[in-house]
Amino acid sequence: MKDSDKKRYRADLVGRYVNRQIDRRTFLKQAGLLGLGAGVLGSGLVRPDGLPLISQARAAEEVLQPSADILAWVKEVSAPFKGTTLKLATESTPPSNAINALLKPYFEEASGMKVEIEVLPLEQVLQKMTLDIASSLGTYDLYYIDQSWAASFSNDVFDPREQTEAKPELAMPDYNLDDFLPALVDGVASYGDRWVGVPYDIPIFIMMYRKDIYEQMGFKAPTTMEEYYTQAKAITEQMGPKLYGATGQMKSGHYSLECDWTAWLWGHGGSIFNKDGRFTGHDDAGLAAMDYWTRLWKTMPPGVIGWTWDGEGQSVAQGVAATMMSWGEFFPSFDDPAASKVSGLMEPVRCPAPVTKLRTVEETGFGEIPGVGHQGGSSLAVSKNSKNPDAAWIFMQWATCADTQVLITTLGGGTGPTRRSVYDDPRVLANARVGPGTTRHLSVVRETIDKDMGSEPDLPQWAELSNDTIPVRLGKYFAGEYGSAKEAMDDIARAVDVVMAG
Amino acid sequence: MMTPTQGPGRWLTWDRPLPWLLPLTVVLLLFTVYPLFYNIWLSFHEYAPLKRQLVWVGGKNWSTLLEDTRFWQSIGVTMVYFFVVLALEVVLGMLIALLLDSDEPGFGFLRGTLTLTLVVPPAVVGMMFLLMEDPEFGVLSYALKSLGILDSSTPILSTPSLALTGVMLADVWQWTPFMVLIFLAGLRSLPAEPFEAAMLDGASAFQMFRRLTLPLMAKVIAVAILIRGIDLFRMFDYVYVMTSGGPGTATYTVSLYAWQQTFSFIKWGYGATISLVTLIIILIMANLFIRLAKVRW
Repeated sequence: MKDSDKKRYRADLVGRYVNRQIDRRTFLKQAGLLGLGAGVLGSGLVRPDGLPLISQARAAEEVLQPSADILAWVKEVSAPFKGTTLKLATESTPPSNAINALLKPYFEEASGMKVEIEVLPLEQVLQKMTLDIASSLGTYDLYYIDQSWAASFSNDVFDPREQTEAKPELAMPDYNLDDFLPALVDGVASYGDRWVGVPYDIPIFIMMYRKDIYEQMGFKAPTTMEEYYTQAKAITEQMGPKLYGATGQMKSGHYSLECDWTAWLWGHGGSIFNKDGRFTGHDDAGLAAMDYWTRLWKTMPPGVIGWTWDGEGQSVAQGVAATMMSWGEFFPSFDDPAASKVSGLMEPVRCPAPVTKLRTVEETGFGEIPGVGHQGGSSLAVSKNSKNPDAAWIFMQWATCADTQVLITTLGGGTGPTRRSVYDDPRVLANARVGPGTTRHLSVVRETIDKDMGSEPDLPQWAELSNDTIPVRLGKYFAGEYGSAKEAMDDIARAVDVVMAG
Repeated sequence: MMTPTQGPGRWLTWDRPLPWLLPLTVVLLLFTVYPLFYNIWLSFHEYAPLKRQLVWVGGKNWSTLLEDTRFWQSIGVTMVYFFVVLALEVVLGMLIALLLDSDEPGFGFLRGTLTLTLVVPPAVVGMMFLLMEDPEFGVLSYALKSLGILDSSTPILSTPSLALTGVMLADVWQWTPFMVLIFLAGLRSLPAEPFEAAMLDGASAFQMFRRLTLPLMAKVIAVAILIRGIDLFRMFDYVYVMTSGGPGTATYTVSLYAWQQTFSFIKWGYGATISLVTLIIILIMANLFIRLAKVRW
């Protein structure tokens, strides 16, 4: 086939796939027949849910492929482990989905290993990990560790620095642990002096707003909390119930409600714990936060107290809410015209500045880091119970190296990388345009990580506190079951004391 | 050549029941008796995260349970759910079964469609009703608002007084056809003679229902109530999908609470204790019902 014919065929193939005239399997099969294989797969076209990511013309021109050098390294060091099966239980997050659906075959082909990735709801990941550790079975070679579990599992996984030192022959050249953003290493992947794996993904709160509505209202992006509230109120008053000024993830008893609470709490100079490890959400700063949140809630759609992050994201995507201070990883989906009514209309900015000075880490307890940019990151680590820790370490390095993160970010739909260099990679920057899988919000994500990031405390009881004790009572408050915010927060304080006392 | 009386086959004769019972006994021991005893053993232990093992805690889980207001609240919610849904499903099930108890053309098809709701996984039904009851996009909320029954700012599943009703709707929609099918099977096997005699005596339809249908159907109704009752007491899927037990604790059922303690908080011993208490409550209620309804198996 002539080169020009090949290009035309590729463009046509891409076009049919982008327009959903053919499914992913047919697309890959025909691309393979054309001898494109990796080239087309890596052309920034597909993401785990099968939606196209970039335009036909661009896809036909651009080629994104895993680095041949890295695959050669994988092939070389994996020789003794050929035939090994590695297992990972993970939450359904963009990096895991991108690796599972798109990138894994490259590793498997180069290494001769098989990688089984179980994608589960977060609580089931915790359950499987706990069972695996308690039984010392080593069912899973790699653990996906939510930042709030770092304390609990720090001794059950290898510190990647120790692995590098212990087996230099297995260390990936230029893997560069220093490339991971230090704030993420501190806030997500470490406990005390130990690294609990390496930062793997970083959902973090940023401010996203409807540019068209803001222009229509004569507003500029909010820079203070009060400005944000005033704008949200004005939009709701003028455009509600068709369009509301703000939205949230406020489902009673759900972790998402606790996430929203912390952002407002930290933003008002409060903290969850003090340095003595006592709950302080009911102090003056905590009550100021509740007062603000209650006012802001009244500018949100009525259904907001039944929504987790999914409902919150949908409320923006479907044009029901004009702003959202929440997970930045939603942003690329807002730009996708196939999934959203607001493609090209949303703009990302940093969260509004805190009302007052943030508390320092020293003033809080259990490593809590106050900041309006609530982060929900996770790390990837090799289990000490793994029967194949060296093979798992090779996979982990490949899955978290800069080149793979670039592919995850571009193919995985614009998810936030955890490495400094990936934010500056030309392939990532090239996707910073309106459209599905955009990366145009990543500069804001990176700035938020550096300047605004807030991290929850690390303590074994946190799973119960953040998934039940706090959000159940906050839910009761928003359902009108307490006389006042003070009553609700005092009740939370009492309940937290009971849990902490064991 | 060996005859059955000489080889191992000599044990497999009609007058020796034990070998025939052995496979089922093994299955029961493995999957019922062992888990039950393990659960009892577990209720006196608790997982210690720092030690990475189960440790003996004596009666702590049991004493904690007695003082745990959340547990008793969840029992209360479960009881309300149990009685209301069971009553609705029995009454609606019987009414629909009476309506469909006909040999006219088309009724067979209608009876066949009843199985449709039963093949849908409860979690999917929960998701369907979650969407239908969404205050922004839900068709059910829209209809209720249009009829003036629901205020436009009242989200069904986020309002404490309405949330449990919202969940019950999903259950009633999915499982009433199950009751209909059981009742229909009973109705269609009733003898015709008593009804013919009653008609000749001039009994009204209601009198025939009360004096003949209900007494003759008693055993069938009792079995249906028992099966659905046990199911209802361990209801999990709908609340998990639709409300996560909220708002607050308004829809927290005992199954959801046991699951949360066991799997979210890794309190295996406490979760086992909750499950055992639930089992005890179900056994008491079932036996009480069997005695009261005078069901003879």
